[in-house]
Amino acid sequence: MPTITIDGAAVEVPAGGMLLPAILEHGVHVPHYCWHPKLSVDGSCRMCQVEIEGVPKLQIACNTPIRDGMVVRTNTPAVENARRGVMELLLVNHPLDCPICDKAGECLLQDYAYAYGSRHTHTREPRRKLEKRKDIGPRMILDQERCILCRRCVRFCREITSTNELGVFNMGDHSVLDVLDDRPLNNDYSINTADICPVGALESKDFHHKLRVWFLKKTPSVCPSCSNGCNITVQHHRERVWRMMPRRNDAVNETWMCDHGRLRYEFVNDPGRLRQPLLRRNGALEPCEWDEAIAFAATALRGAAREGASRGVGAIVSPHLTNEELFRFAQLLHSVHATQVEVAVRMGLSDNFLIKPEKAANARGARDMGLQSAPGGAGVAGLLAAASRGALRALYVCGPDLVETADPQALDNALEHVEVLIVQDVFRTALAERADVVLPSLTFAEKVGTFTNVTGRVQQIHRAVTPPEGQPNDGEIFSRLLNHVSEARWTFEPTAVLAEIAAAVPSYAGITFAAVGAQGWQLPDPSGAAAPGATH
Amino acid sequence: MATRTVAVARPSSLRRSWFRSGWAILKGLWVTNRHFMRNLWGFIRRKPTVFTVQFPEERLTHPGAFRGHPVLVQMDNGKERCVACGLCEWACPTDCITIYPAETADEIERHPKVFDIDMSRCMFCGLCEEACPEEAIVMSQTVEIAAFSRRGTLWHKEDLLVPVDQLRDTRLGHIRQSYDQ
Repeated sequence: MPTITIDGAAVEVPAGGMLLPAILEHGVHVPHYCWHPKLSVDGSCRMCQVEIEGVPKLQIACNTPIRDGMVVRTNTPAVENARRGVMELLLVNHPLDCPICDKAGECLLQDYAYAYGSRHTHTREPRRKLEKRKDIGPRMILDQERCILCRRCVRFCREITSTNELGVFNMGDHSVLDVLDDRPLNNDYSINTADICPVGALESKDFHHKLRVWFLKKTPSVCPSCSNGCNITVQHHRERVWRMMPRRNDAVNETWMCDHGRLRYEFVNDPGRLRQPLLRRNGALEPCEWDEAIAFAATALRGAAREGASRGVGAIVSPHLTNEELFRFAQLLHSVHATQVEVAVRMGLSDNFLIKPEKAANARGARDMGLQSAPGGAGVAGLLAAASRGALRALYVCGPDLVETADPQALDNALEHVEVLIVQDVFRTALAERADVVLPSLTFAEKVGTFTNVTGRVQQIHRAVTPPEGQPNDGEIFSRLLNHVSEARWTFEPTAVLAEIAAAVPSYAGITFAAVGAQGWQLPDPSGAAAPGATH
Repeated sequence: MATRTVAVARPSSLRRSWFRSGWAILKGLWVTNRHFMRNLWGFIRRKPTVFTVQFPEERLTHPGAFRGHPVLVQMDNGKERCVACGLCEWACPTDCITIYPAETADEIERHPKVFDIDMSRCMFCGLCEEACPEEAIVMSQTVEIAAFSRRGTLWHKEDLLVPVDQLRDTRLGHIRQSYDQ
């Protein structure tokens, strides 16, 4: 391994790399715009210039290969002067849009102008007038005046999505970022260009003029929209989710996430969400107290359990719940001797990058917690068929996916033969309208727990938004039901339940929240066939 | 550490302090009586010499630097000058400003969809005005914010808008003058 000297400190760095990542890894911040850890080197912004002993001129660190014995200085007067000059040139044509620019507050140009720029400019010429608010795709808009031509987005479309929509047209001072008229920026990952844009040139329409970014609080979480489990930060303000952004995890999503997952957060903020349990009285669903609803559901489950296997309890398990909640659900179903348990997962389009076909965050976790019949079993269709034969007296449907996965005719038949239907969901769905008791469920943004992604990586979610006072999370609902149907006293504390999982589920042995951490915990894979994307 | 004691001379005579406070009371009474007599004499002669302002009917004109409650500047086309940049919301020490931005078709593409100031929390400090890059929120000449309910002290955008003509000679003039220096 070559040893280089960075600002007087001798550092061992990996061979064959470029200087900039090694300097950043060492903990010295060198400002840069065009360099991005997941994209190729461009060297167009000239911001990362450093002084190297023996080299007559300043060199850009992002495109200088490491050589053993290099002596690098990042904070000499010459370097500071060069940065000041680069900043002045970048700002020659940059409009003073900060008060109306969505990027203000997380803009690299703004930050570096304060940190490294001068307060003066030598030019007197008017700034370039280019197109503002240009509609370049269904989810993105472009402000050409703000662009500093770092070409991060161009490389993203070339190297990551291979769709090549964005390009820099014309030459020299006339250079301008644009798309061709007949090829809008319309790939599944287009909003990532707004994330990597160091200025406010590319903006997502979804977040356009929504909120100043400095008001947002950031909570690390996992995207709930498919089984890939992309690491995200949920960004929230005034108990409302405003946007979701990818969080770096090289084993899962690198620094990207798809547009479908990113834009699916509004359901958390929906004012029409179920917040109070509903109970069927005289044929109509009416709001009731939690204790009442829990007692009713518990009585129904206990009654069905007493009937035995010929007319017992069936359950459709939600793949949107955390492992801890699913573990409690498994215990509940075990104590009421559930005969038929299946996981209903909505399937959708997938690609060979991040988007996976199973449109739920924790389908794998549900199977790991033993909530599905053996592979090749009857599945959801089999459960519904059994219900239509009258084999299920009570059916506990958790989550919204059953309606979208099951054949409507079969579902209709099954529900007619079920005596008690318990539905636990976030919204008052069509299925909930047919239920005897409806229990409001919480979303991923409102609870703490773990999700297991398709490759068997267990990752943690945190509470971003506080649910209304007195609304229990799904794990607490299961625990309260367990208090009714069994002798023991049950509580729900995610840390304690994860310890129970570690003791009870062999592949999860040794798991703790500390071990899961921010980057996840990979399950041992007995088959040895790791799915694509799993590198650890 | 060695301690050092300093003897402080204090007025020892109780009688002397009695005398002093008695003198001060007489002095105060003399001032009060002088004004009373002068007002009474003016009342009798029908030439009042009072300088009390009969407030709701009579009002003083304040200098441009006076800080009343904040208002939003309304441009000649009837729209607000505010672009909802949120700097006043951030600068506000009492957190009394709530802004939700939205897009418009105008050249300046942004405006506040919601601009609320909770006047019961506002302390007229003027930091919002200082933070504003657009001269869009300025302090006015009025201080009356009384309302019959707490809800009434929450002022919305429509309540806050004041035409620019009314502000040009007062607070806006003062701001421009002080920034030019």
